Amino acid sequence: MDMNVALAARSYGAARPLTAPDPAGGAGPQTAAGRFAETFAQTLGTAETAARDTMISGADPHALVTALSEAQLAVETTVAVRDRVVEAYLEILRMPV
Amino acid sequence: MSQLAHTLGLSAAGMQAQATRLRHVSENIANADTPGYRRKLVPFEPSALPTDPFGARSGVQAGRVGLDRSELPQIYEPGHILADESGHYLGSNVDLLVELADAREAQRSYEANLRMFDQARQMSQSLIGLLRK
Repeated sequence: MDMNVALAARSYGAARPLTAPDPAGGAGPQTAAGRFAETFAQTLGTAETAARDTMISGADPHALVTALSEAQLAVETTVAVRDRVVEAYLEILRMPV
Repeated sequence: MSQLAHTLGLSAAGMQAQATRLRHVSENIANADTPGYRRKLVPFEPSALPTDPFGARSGVQAGRVGLDRSELPQIYEPGHILADESGHYLGSNVDLLVELADAREAQRSYEANLRMFDQARQMSQSLIGLLRK
């Protein structure tokens, strides 16, 4: 029994580095997810700039409509992808162990 | 998806060009009674969109405004402040009927571009909607 506890403690200790945050890897700007997030933020930024310009200086409303449509589509895509990811994650959590 | 985004840009360019055209039509109508005014002509020309590949020009834009070179009508009104010895002065060569037809055409083209914009957006939305099922 004592041997089992020691073994479990050693296993936990060995597994600990796996859960530590990795500053080099992860969803940095190099990965596909990072690039997607960058493009998404860029699209939203364009829409916000266009909206501000139209409100303040009376810029062309056609550009505003185009930018807002693109931003709306980007947000809908992101939300749909996120829903699928969360759904898949929940499906894994429901797995009988 | 990028094709549909390109369609959005194209339709917006078309709407902008038609809006410019309508603005010049309204200038012509506003100046229909201005002596010596020549009606403005708006040529359309291809323009490059931000989503175009290098060198391609698939969009449309209103080009440099030209003036109608046709003869100005002689209007007989001896009491007019601009009238010469014979009692005539030069009016404007704006034909209201032509301008109204032009305005209606601009409206129809604008609506066509608007419908294309809406259709491209709906197609994108239903494509994304597939992800949710």
